[in-house]
Amino acid sequence: MEKTDVQKSIAIEAKNISKTFKISENSHNTVKHRLFNIFNPPKTKYVPAIKNMSLEILQGECIGLLGRNGSGKSTLIKLLAGVYPTDSGYVKIKGTTMLMNLGVGMSHELTARENIYVSGSVLGLKIKEIDAIFHQIIDFAELDGFIDSKIKFFSSGMVARLGFSIAVNAGADIMFLDEIFAVGDVKFQEKAVKVFESSWIKGRTVILVSHSMDVIKQYCNRAVFMKNGEMKYVGDTEKAIEMYMEDNH
Amino acid sequence: MLLQDSVTWFKKNNKLERLWLLAKIEFKLRYYENRLGLFWALLKPILDICIYYLVFQIILKQDIPAFASYLFIGLIFYNFFIESTSGTISLLHTKKYLYEYSNMNKLEIYISTLMSNVIGFSFNLIMFMLFYNLIEPESMGLSFYNFWIIPVFVNIFILALGVSLILSNIFIYAKDITQIWQVIATLLLFTSPIFYKLTSFKQALPTFDHLNPIAGIIINARRVMMQGVSPDFSLMLFDYGYACSFLIIGLILLNKIGSKAAEKL
Repeated sequence: MEKTDVQKSIAIEAKNISKTFKISENSHNTVKHRLFNIFNPPKTKYVPAIKNMSLEILQGECIGLLGRNGSGKSTLIKLLAGVYPTDSGYVKIKGTTMLMNLGVGMSHELTARENIYVSGSVLGLKIKEIDAIFHQIIDFAELDGFIDSKIKFFSSGMVARLGFSIAVNAGADIMFLDEIFAVGDVKFQEKAVKVFESSWIKGRTVILVSHSMDVIKQYCNRAVFMKNGEMKYVGDTEKAIEMYMEDNH
Repeated sequence: MLLQDSVTWFKKNNKLERLWLLAKIEFKLRYYENRLGLFWALLKPILDICIYYLVFQIILKQDIPAFASYLFIGLIFYNFFIESTSGTISLLHTKKYLYEYSNMNKLEIYISTLMSNVIGFSFNLIMFMLFYNLIEPESMGLSFYNFWIIPVFVNIFILALGVSLILSNIFIYAKDITQIWQVIATLLLFTSPIFYKLTSFKQALPTFDHLNPIAGIIINARRVMMQGVSPDFSLMLFDYGYACSFLIIGLILLNKIGSKAAEKL
């Protein structure tokens, strides 16, 4: 390996972050409710989702995130992407982030064309750059003929394909991919996997959440294993998978 | 050197482009969705003026010179303020798709929405100027003082942005702020000299021209557009004071409460 790899700069630095969700049983969402219930505060439950974690993600690395349902993977992703604020510690993000699970940030009131321009722009592209990749996005999503229809009239598969296509073709500096291989029919999934096998993933910072061990094994050079909101292991992918499999039994 | 730096910043950065793109789409959504389209944006103030003209000039016989223009300029400023505040209370909810999946700065969402209102306001202001200079019989014509409308408008823009930030962040915790604000909006409408003669307004409600920022802004807009005099600088200072204080409070709220919008809404 070249020496430059050693000096790779940090894309995300998270230090001592934690997140606790407050869940009230009866939400006092109006002024009236709050006034009438001053002496009867709602019962609140505290759910610690992330407990004091530190993590550094280098630029250009693909890191896997493993853990059972409810282990805090999605919360961690949202904290690292800057969507949720942390309760303690800090997250330093260098560049634009994009969080992708079944849908990405698209408005159902807008047409496919408008959504492509808005998303592309939010991801940091200039209008000219979006013009250049516009047809690529449409072709990849197989949405010819629906360019100027509002996506609220699309099937859920069409919306998901559009989201995936925007993510693949526009892409932020740092991508968070949350179980994205569940998108579309078999044919589209094959296409999606092909993208990953091509050079797309190289040079990008990717945080990959998946329950498919093959996917993690194939693309990630490091992996994180999480349990009950704690980071149990960071490092070798094989070892993380082993720990995750043990946890499942 | 500095110029060169800022030119390269503009070339590399897509922030302004993004604001303009979002503003255009917002404007299109608002006006092209209904059948009357953009025509409605022009028709609405004319119909409003007809109604108020009937009530205040013909029935109540207020006898204000150039009353149609007097109403016109007052209403377009008031409407801009209301559209930018009432219309944005649930902004963090309706525009969630923009910040839920990325680390986009939320302030940009506010500015772009207000910019789409600026487009509508500009149409109305051009209509006003055509009306005042070509149709209004008691017009005083164009004057260099008209340029003062720019700082007066910047004033109401900052004020609207500040109030919009405050309301939409309160909305996260108290949804009925919408109803409360409707009452306050009506109060602001009737405690501004939009329909009344300025002298009788000042007599009946002394200090209200300084207390109600909308009143001050409308008074100054009329001075520079209709009376051909410079704005009342003490009023302007007051109104910039209000606008900046609201903006600072709004930005603090956005930082404290707005950052939690993704998980609370």
